[in-house]
Amino acid sequence: MVIDEPRRRLHPLSPLLHSAKALVVIVVALSWQTLRQVGLGWFALMVLVLVLGAIVMSVISWYNTGYHIVGHELRVYEGLLWRRTRAIPLERLQSVEVVRPLLAQLTGLAELRLEVVGGGKTEAPLAYLSVADAAALRDRLLVIAGRSPAPVAPDGSTAEVAGVAPARVPGDGPLLLAVRNRDLVISQLLTPQALALPIGVAFVVLQFGYDPSWSFIGVASTLTAIAGVLLQPVRRVLSDWNFRLSHDDTALRLRFGLVETRAQTVPVDRVQGVTATWPLLWRGHGWLRLTLDVAGVAGQENGNGNETDRLLPVGTADVADRVAGAVLPGVQLGALTFQPPPERTRWFHPLARPKLGVALTDRIVATREGLLTRTVMMVPFARIQSVRVVQGPLQRLLGVATVYADTARGRSAALRDRDLAEAWWLAAELAERGRVARQTAPDRGVVVVPAPTPGPEGVPLRPQTSA
Amino acid sequence: MDIAAAGPTSPLEPWPDTVEWQPVSRDLIWVELIRWGAMAAVMLIPLGVLWAVFGIWPLGLSFAVVLVLMLWRVWSIFRAVRAWGYAERDHDLLVRHGLVVRRLSIVPYARMQFVDVSAGPLERVFNLATVQLHTAAAASDARVPGLRPAEASRLRDRLTALGEDRAEGL
Repeated sequence: MVIDEPRRRLHPLSPLLHSAKALVVIVVALSWQTLRQVGLGWFALMVLVLVLGAIVMSVISWYNTGYHIVGHELRVYEGLLWRRTRAIPLERLQSVEVVRPLLAQLTGLAELRLEVVGGGKTEAPLAYLSVADAAALRDRLLVIAGRSPAPVAPDGSTAEVAGVAPARVPGDGPLLLAVRNRDLVISQLLTPQALALPIGVAFVVLQFGYDPSWSFIGVASTLTAIAGVLLQPVRRVLSDWNFRLSHDDTALRLRFGLVETRAQTVPVDRVQGVTATWPLLWRGHGWLRLTLDVAGVAGQENGNGNETDRLLPVGTADVADRVAGAVLPGVQLGALTFQPPPERTRWFHPLARPKLGVALTDRIVATREGLLTRTVMMVPFARIQSVRVVQGPLQRLLGVATVYADTARGRSAALRDRDLAEAWWLAAELAERGRVARQTAPDRGVVVVPAPTPGPEGVPLRPQTSA
Repeated sequence: MDIAAAGPTSPLEPWPDTVEWQPVSRDLIWVELIRWGAMAAVMLIPLGVLWAVFGIWPLGLSFAVVLVLMLWRVWSIFRAVRAWGYAERDHDLLVRHGLVVRRLSIVPYARMQFVDVSAGPLERVFNLATVQLHTAAAASDARVPGLRPAEASRLRDRLTALGEDRAEGL
């Protein structure tokens, strides 16, 4: 099936939105200093001229930007002087996101972001499309990527798709989970940053009480610093507001955000792994957080670590089990039985050794780490890129080795300090189970012989051979 | 069940019954020695000259310490090159190397993204080449140095062919 079509432009309002963004930058760049020097009238004139310039530039850029789908590629054209054409192979599509910043929400527009494996950053942010167009394009891209639930017939024309899409936007399949905003706020209050706030405030008040001459600037800058510390929890609350996760057979649909709403679609079989984190301060509530490893999702965007790969911002164990089970079928966090490294490695991890551990199920390998903030990283066998066994000199003295299961996200699940014989067994097992899992992966439609594993089926992990 | 437990526990010899390790060429020893010799010369010659000129004992001592370290390294180069090895299994390539930190990588052919064959000037003098396998995981570590060019291209072609057979999405 080759879909060829004329090039399409972005929404005609997009230059205005880009200019509105530019307006803020311009005002900041001109600064109060300039305002005081030239007076209000001239200042307004300067802003006006610059904004007009920005609008003209945006219109030109809009006029020269286009996209269309050719075969299995999305092609994006941009630039007037420096022409740039990007061809994005849709086989490598990892996730699609519809992002709506505040201004876009007011104007009924949306930005479409694609994550492609191997891309260091988000590819091809198409800014902006109308919401219906964005949803329709997203669905078409997912269909062509071959991983979509195909709610739309693959041969459906654009017009039909566009007609269907708006109706689907609110629903998106059965709702799996809705995070209560109250829990979200409480969970973010239970972070070190938020808990440090009273101390900071007390410090300022104390300083002020002892030394009334303490300058106003001093207070202001201290408050600014406190605000800076608080920025991350506040941003988390804003970005995860109204978190909704729905799930159909092949894709996860996540919707979240207050000021900027995002709707992310991740095909389930593109999930490279899931990490569960239990922060120390959340233990009272029995809460944990789940994050998703998707190859190609730019984690460093906006300098905020895992912004686009949230799977569950906060939830109890059984909610997390439900979510994890949807992403990695058959996985229950509570049912994983972790085997700690051998007793003799206690010198490496004086306190944490009992908390470390490895668990194998018939589909995933999981590792547990961390004494205060406990994390469990789960990697499906089918997503293992390579297996490594590394043994340092100290480990050799104790007869242990670390096994790594590498995934495309650039993170490796580290099975730390396993008994050497067990490490070899694990390495062989991971390689073999990975091979079988790849061959029986549903998207290949081929079922090949089951694993000729030496261990009996159903045993989660090779029992320790000696005490 | 206890196949693994009964098996060998040497860090460099897992699964001796099923895996046939191919050594890399001994000429790699020369390449490594020359590289190391150049570095050693940079460190030793100034120390030696200073010692000869000033004749103070700490310089002589550090000269001796560096010399001993260098000689130890030379000895370990011999062993390290012998420790390098690779094995082509039905579905994956095994590469092992390292003496102090011992590493073994298992890279399935199906996961291969591309293969690099490279040969630096020094390697070319000794008629050697390096084959490196890349997967989507940055951490994957499958580099085989010290191959004869014929063997390097054979390995590259075989890997490419197997990779095409078994290639798949991520």
